[in-house]
Order: sequence, then structure tokens, then C-alpha cells
Amino acid sequence: MNEKVSGSFRDPSGFMFRHEGILYRQVNLHYRQEYDLLMASGLYEQLTKSRALIPHTEESTDLAPVPEIAYKVIRPQTVGFISYPYEWSFDQLKDAAILTLAIARRALEYGMALKDASAYNVQFHEGRPIFIDTLSFEKYEEGLPWVAYRQFCQHFLAPLALMASKDVRLLQLLRVNIDGIPLDLASSLLPTSTRLNLGLSSHIHLHASSQKKYADKEVSQAEVKGKFSRGAMETLIESLLSTVRALKVKEINTEWADYYQANNYTEASFEAKRAVVKDFISKVAPQTVWDLGGNTGEFSRAASELGIPTVSMDIDPGAVQQNYQLVKKNKEKNMLPLVMDLTNPSPALGWRNQERQSLRERGEASLIMALALIHHLAIANNVPLRDVADFFADLGPYLVIEFVPKEDSQVARLLASRLDIFPNYTLEGFKQAFQARYTILEEHPVEGSKRTLLLMRRKD
Amino acid sequence: MMHTIIILDILAKPAFYLDPGSGSMIIQMVIAAVLGLGVATRVFWKNIKGWFTKNKGTAEAELDPTEIAEPESPEEPKN
Repeated sequence: MNEKVSGSFRDPSGFMFRHEGILYRQVNLHYRQEYDLLMASGLYEQLTKSRALIPHTEESTDLAPVPEIAYKVIRPQTVGFISYPYEWSFDQLKDAAILTLAIARRALEYGMALKDASAYNVQFHEGRPIFIDTLSFEKYEEGLPWVAYRQFCQHFLAPLALMASKDVRLLQLLRVNIDGIPLDLASSLLPTSTRLNLGLSSHIHLHASSQKKYADKEVSQAEVKGKFSRGAMETLIESLLSTVRALKVKEINTEWADYYQANNYTEASFEAKRAVVKDFISKVAPQTVWDLGGNTGEFSRAASELGIPTVSMDIDPGAVQQNYQLVKKNKEKNMLPLVMDLTNPSPALGWRNQERQSLRERGEASLIMALALIHHLAIANNVPLRDVADFFADLGPYLVIEFVPKEDSQVARLLASRLDIFPNYTLEGFKQAFQARYTILEEHPVEGSKRTLLLMRRKD
Repeated sequence: MMHTIIILDILAKPAFYLDPGSGSMIIQMVIAAVLGLGVATRVFWKNIKGWFTKNKGTAEAELDPTEIAEPESPEEPKN
């Protein structure tokens, strides 16, 4: 049975579908010339060799869900975990932007152009950004402006500029605006000083004014044809590249990134905790791990270093940024750092709520890790322990969890300025609440601290 | 019938599948023209200067647009 995959329906060139659990893409007859050119020109080979574009194999067209319009059926290499731009750190979005421009520029050399520049066409695969939409290329017709210019500015440049010049949290505007941040909005939010930046003043501020000026005027393809040389296209891409490259976030005022320097652990108990976590992981031997509240990935690496694909999620963009920089520096292949507010995880978004999946829909992971997290959910966020157990149980069958008691200074701090309405927040109360959903397999006090690590299996 | 409509619809190839936006098309022509002029001016002066210093303007330092996209060597085989 074929099942069409939402999120790829806008492009008439083809669509994604799932057959017996495997993801395929139908290439429509409409896209025949372009597809053949991509494959024959050497561009496909160049881009896949340089790991810029996801490689695929051609499969039998018998699989095509709509055979009347099918030209090919291809099977792209799968990406372990699909993440979305509103879950990335600044550097991840910046690298995805540079990749997109690098591909646009490379395509020109092979007589092709990028017909869209959506941030959703980029995924993180084995630690690097990779372009996943094989059908985004078209024959380059000299004389025409770049059709995806507006999309690039909305999906990449506007959020990057807002993050760099204003606040990294503005990335969340991408959650609300599924086709990128409208440029008039970006222009009005950006500080006046950005008008002195040649790239930002032209690609965002002037661009927004131009959109306003021509809002009710039709400019046809014929009118612009011939007025935009290949050199102009190259200049435009070059200018976008240098604008993006120059954007940097200020030292992110981070809540958690220096956590390990100022917490409840001595060096020795830190190592003891790591040893227990490693032991639990090897007992479960999971296929995939989600480390919730993973900070800079310190303990996520206990899993990823064993070769297990690991997603390390944290609410703090500064910590996620640091984690991503480590991934790049050490060329780590099994670590994906993401920004995630667990009290309000990514919802299903877009057309029919099906274009972008919620966090839960992208599960399950075989092992969930929740270290030094429970007090934030149960105390800072007032979630009853039973509901916390339900949340973790939704995401995967095994759980490695650290219980942080009231005597711990981190919890004492949370309770310092408020009424203690959590009489059941004790190790016993916690175990009782979690046993409604889990069987406790192991329990291990963390040496040199008042905390306890537990390994649990979901009751199915 | 339904499929015939889809085929006809799809074969009647639209000019652009995304709406590039009128304002976005116009502004990129302006930006590229202005920036192109800037590049041309720089090259012009460089050449003049080079002519006097007998140091024929070396090509501008190559930007590396593919710092992410460059191949890593040697790549282990996939799957």
C-alpha cells in the first residue's frame, strides 16, 4: 500500500511516498527534462560526491502511486531524524544557508538553477547539512532573475539577521511563518543599524520596500527576461553568501552552557554518573537515543560515541550552538543537537497540520534519556510526576532517568522563592508515579551527590 | 477524467512554480546591477594601479562557497 507523504505536495515535479515502510519519490513526466539534465550533466555526481545532495537509486516505476504521470521512481538515502529550521541553532541555520547558496552557484556551472531555496530542503545527516530535494533543480535560462531569491531571504537571511542583530529566540518566528519570515516584518524588527550593512540593507530592507512598491503591479516573466545576465546571477549569489557569512551571534547569554562548571557535581561524581549512564545504555543497546535536556551533549555522547544515532535536545539555544560546534569540530556523525522546549515541543504544522510533524510523530526512539531534567518539569513547570511519566512513555520504550531530590541545591534553588506544593516529590513518590507506566530495571545512587539514576522499561 | 485533468494541468508548464514576487524580481536586478558596477569599478582601479606598479592585478582572492560542500577524501563506501 502506498502512502503519500505530506510536506512535498506543492511541487508539480513529483512527490514523496512510503511503500512498505520505505521512502520513495515519484518523479513526474513534467520534470523529465530537468531530471535527465541533473543526472547527465554531472551535477548530480558532483553534488553527491561532495555530500551536498542526498544520493538516490532509481527503482521500478511499477511502484509509482500515480503511474499516468510518472517518469521515474527514486529511492533517496534516508535521513535518520527529520528536523526543522525552528529547531536549529544559529550555526546550523547558517550552514544550511551557505550550503543552499553553494549548491545554487555550483548548479549554474552545470547549466542548472535552484528553483526553490526552502530551509526545509536541508536536513542534518551524519553531522552535516545536506540538501534532500532532488527535484529542486531546473534548466538555467540565462536572462531570468533567481526565482527562489525571495524564498531564500525569507527562510534563511531574515531569521539569521534577526538572530544576529536582535535575539536568537526570534528563530521561533519560523514556527509561525511556514514559508519564512515576511521581509516587511523582518525589516521592521531589525535594528536601524542593520541599514548600514550593505547586504542586509539591500536583501532585506530594500527588498521589503520593493515588495511593497510592486505589491499590486504584475511583472511578467517576459518583462524581466533578458535583463538579468548570468554574471548578475553570480553577483547576487556571491552577495548573499558574503552577507550570510558575515552574520554572527554575539556571545549567547546562556542559561545552561556553563552548567557543568557550576553544579552539584565534583569531577569524580561526574565520572561516576557517566559510567552508570554508559552501563545502562549498553544494557539496552538502543537503535536510537533521544537525550531530553541534553545541554551541550555531554551525556548524549555516552550514546553517540557508541555509534548510536542520538538527538540531543535542549531549550537553551546557547547550549545547542556549543553542541553543534563540537559536532563540527570533531566531525561527529551520530549527534544531532536541537533546540526544543519540552514543555511545549514542536507541534504538527502547516497544511492540514501535516506538512511538518510534531516531535512525538517523529518518534519513537528506542531509548529516552532524561538526566537532571525531572525537577524542571515537575517543580519549575508544575507537571505532576504521573504526567511526566506519560510524556516520556509516549516517546520510547526505555528510559534512563536521573531523580534529583529536594535536598539537591538545584531543586532548593527552584523552591527558594515559592511555596512547596510538591509533598510527593521524593524518590519513593517518584518511583511510585513512574511505576504506573514503567518497570524499574535498575536503580543506582550517583556517588558524591544526592541523586539517583534509574533504568526503566515501559509496560506495554 | 481526474487524471487527465492532472496531466493537462501539469503539462501546461507554468512559468515559475513558486511565485517569485514582482518586487523580489525587480530588486534583485537593481542589487546585481549596483553590485556589478562596484565589482567592475574595483577591477578597473586595480588594473590601473597594477599598470603603474607593474603588478598586473591578481585575480580577487577566491571565495570558497563550498566550505561545507567540498568532498571529503577518501570517503568510505556508503551502505
